[in-house]
Amino acid sequence: MTTALANALAYFGRFGVDESLIRTALSAALARGGDRADLYFQHRVAHSLGLEDGAVNRAWSGIELGVGIRVLRGDQTGYGYTEDLSPESVRQAALTAAAIADGPSRDRPIPQLVATAIPQRYRAKTPWDTVAAATRLPLLQRVQERAHAADPRVQKVTVHFSDEEGAVLMVDSDGRVAFDEQPMTLIHLSCMAEQDGKRESNGGNIAGRAGLEFYTDAKLDKLVQEAVDRTTILFEAVQPPAGEMPVVLGAGSSGILLHEAIGHGLEADFNRKGVSIYADKLGKPIAAPFVTVVDDATPQGARGAINVDDEGNAAGLTTLIHDGVLQTYLHDSISARHYGVQPTGNGRRESFRYAPLPRMRSTYMMPGPHTPEEIIASVERGIYCGNFANGQVQIGAGDFTFYVKNGWLIENGKLTRPIKDVNLIGNGPKVLEQIDMVGDDLKIDDGGWTCGKDGQSVPVSQGMPTTRVRAMTVGGRG
Amino acid sequence: MLDIAGKVVERAQAHGAQQVAASAYQVREVSVQWRDGAVEKLMEATTRGVGVELYVDGRYASVSTSDLRADALDTFLTDAVAMTRALAPDPFRTLPDPALYVGQSLADLQLADPHYGDLTAVRRRELAQQLEQATRNTAESARILSVTTSVSDSQSQSWRVHSDGFTGEKAGTSYWLGAQVSVQDADGRRPEDACYAGARWRGDVPDPQGVGEEATRRALSRLGSSKPESGTKTLVVDARAAGRVVSSLLSGLSAAGWQQKRSFLEGKIDHTIGNDLLDLTDDPLVVRGLGSRRFDGEGMAAREMPLFAGGVLKHGFIDTYYGKKLGLAPTTGRMSNLRWRLGQRTHAELLRDVGDGILVTSFLGGNANGTTGDFSWGIQGFAIRGGQIAEPIGEANISGNHLTLWPSLLAVGDDPYRYSALRTPTLVFGGVSVAGR
Repeated sequence: MTTALANALAYFGRFGVDESLIRTALSAALARGGDRADLYFQHRVAHSLGLEDGAVNRAWSGIELGVGIRVLRGDQTGYGYTEDLSPESVRQAALTAAAIADGPSRDRPIPQLVATAIPQRYRAKTPWDTVAAATRLPLLQRVQERAHAADPRVQKVTVHFSDEEGAVLMVDSDGRVAFDEQPMTLIHLSCMAEQDGKRESNGGNIAGRAGLEFYTDAKLDKLVQEAVDRTTILFEAVQPPAGEMPVVLGAGSSGILLHEAIGHGLEADFNRKGVSIYADKLGKPIAAPFVTVVDDATPQGARGAINVDDEGNAAGLTTLIHDGVLQTYLHDSISARHYGVQPTGNGRRESFRYAPLPRMRSTYMMPGPHTPEEIIASVERGIYCGNFANGQVQIGAGDFTFYVKNGWLIENGKLTRPIKDVNLIGNGPKVLEQIDMVGDDLKIDDGGWTCGKDGQSVPVSQGMPTTRVRAMTVGGRG
Repeated sequence: MLDIAGKVVERAQAHGAQQVAASAYQVREVSVQWRDGAVEKLMEATTRGVGVELYVDGRYASVSTSDLRADALDTFLTDAVAMTRALAPDPFRTLPDPALYVGQSLADLQLADPHYGDLTAVRRRELAQQLEQATRNTAESARILSVTTSVSDSQSQSWRVHSDGFTGEKAGTSYWLGAQVSVQDADGRRPEDACYAGARWRGDVPDPQGVGEEATRRALSRLGSSKPESGTKTLVVDARAAGRVVSSLLSGLSAAGWQQKRSFLEGKIDHTIGNDLLDLTDDPLVVRGLGSRRFDGEGMAAREMPLFAGGVLKHGFIDTYYGKKLGLAPTTGRMSNLRWRLGQRTHAELLRDVGDGILVTSFLGGNANGTTGDFSWGIQGFAIRGGQIAEPIGEANISGNHLTLWPSLLAVGDDPYRYSALRTPTLVFGGVSVAGR
């Protein structure tokens, strides 16, 4: 066994996983004539702490351990998993997955296992398993104290903190082995403020693939200031008027527009099935020439960064739209094989309990030719979107929405009144065509975004320069 | 697995916990996904694990693991107790008052189909195929781009043991059918809609024919949709869609939200929130109900509880912890099934009564501000003209506030949606702000 392979297998050795168990499982998986099979071993240890009413007085922790086994025959998938890593239980799960094929029992040799070299885009400098609970507590306390100190209207503060460490080991029937350790941490601050008998609440969060070193004073101060500002400004905020109007998306988390308006529609499973509104648009211009959109696995330490995807495929920077022209879909191995292209490293899954699907990583628009000031100044009457709660899309019809938590009315080229709690709705391809100004101020948001698809959640990032959309439907009042 | 829960309680006490609650669970899930004439994905697995609530020296933590090897479990509990000791004390954390364990219904709720296991892999595939055939059973089948159907079933069991002597066991089964249909619109859009139906007993699951046909009918009805004109309109929300509006209202009933002053219904017990038509009860004892239970997540005996009676807020969801913090008697922390005081009018009669307005058949995104009650949601559905369903509409939003929405509830239908524990009927609201073109 090579050193690289020994290193890749070492972590799961403590759970009894060795080359013999892997070979037994892969052979069982292919016993009924499947084309290919893969194993996804996962161990994850997560902790979280909660602060409420002034004290860090609750904790949660969880351990997950198991293996998911997938068998492919053409585009078809058989899937099984087990939390019991004993050879017999793993073999049974493999036989379950094997049932996607119904051929006769046969022996298929599994080639020599070879470890894949993967890049290092995140490594916890102070890993969480070396950090005592008592060391984490002051982080939450500090955030709470600063939130109260920032504004006397802040009456209630809750802080939720979580960290996670884990490793995955992927082995496929071609003998490819990939091992990755995947840290994650997130802190979420919510504030409730009172003014003249009225209450408002809001919050903020930051997240990344990192260890304790992630939490610098500067980061925590910024989190607190943003959360408090976003809460207290709500007292002056109104719901904007209803109807179609120009929309300016602020730099950063506005990338949610890309995620919903185009990202999901480019996930190749939807296109393979012909159900996406983008299914026949490859190579065609779909946006202005200054619009370039990427889905990127590489941003160092980002929540949406991955070293390797959940099928063991290399993951890098994928250009979706280049100078306005649609370049590629986001592929997992099934769709890549279907289209006869290389996988783009977008095969991701929530855990060993799920088969991978094409998913986004960190999706953002490259900077454009305009300044944020001239973009705002160009709007006579419209809205400016600051931060967001959630979004959703219909893949086929192309309609998508995102919920704006804070923003501004724009009147005669100036931000005038704060706005709040409004849903925006548009149609993906139409909105892309209507992006007519892109700023030079790209910002990748460091919030704790999570994307849901087919009942699976995966961490993602998103980013955007200040951008103008000629018209969207704003769900205001009156 | 009951043994595991009992052992966990014992070991956690040995490690220093004064009170412990442990739940062990095992769930078997099988699903077949079928697309355009062939199986797309088969999935089958049994998952299991244990969750533990620890009360150590006045401190509280909740932990879970799926690594049930005896050594691993013991190390896990040692670490968990040590972690709990590092926290600040919280005098409000205790197991429930044991008096509240007493009085569980003796009725047979029939939550588990005794014939679970009879459904074969071959039969699942046949059902999935029949669902697809039903979707294509239309004169307009040439418009169909793709059909995905699903057949799934699950069997779950859980065992709960408390250090104060409470033990409880739950078992349930469920069966679901689904069909999703994508169709080609003239302008390049590919609208999609779906129909899902399920039940705890296999014999209660509807025929695949009806489910498949309904999915196609819904998808085809989306063709040529356009934005409605903005304005203030009467809104009919169909039974299947109404769950979104109702669960947003119910989020205001959480005692955690009251105690944290992040709820638009805080301090509103015995206040009028809606008009007389807002009348619903939490009913945990519905036979074969999707949300039914004899005891809740804390072991407290499940009881019927009015939430709104004649528009007046009667009870909220109060668990032991937030009950103690607020000085209120605990009810239960979570909803089970809703039982509405139904109206007499059918969906079609309600449309006729309304005359002109908008029928909402589904929501797309949006959210609500739980502190103020403001909401803003994307909608799709149909215009209602002259009491009839007219052109399909989409790419629109509605916005408002719960405290003004429910007083303008104009009618409640006779048609509770069977496939959700919310069991919402069609709801009609007056004067809702709609944003379109």
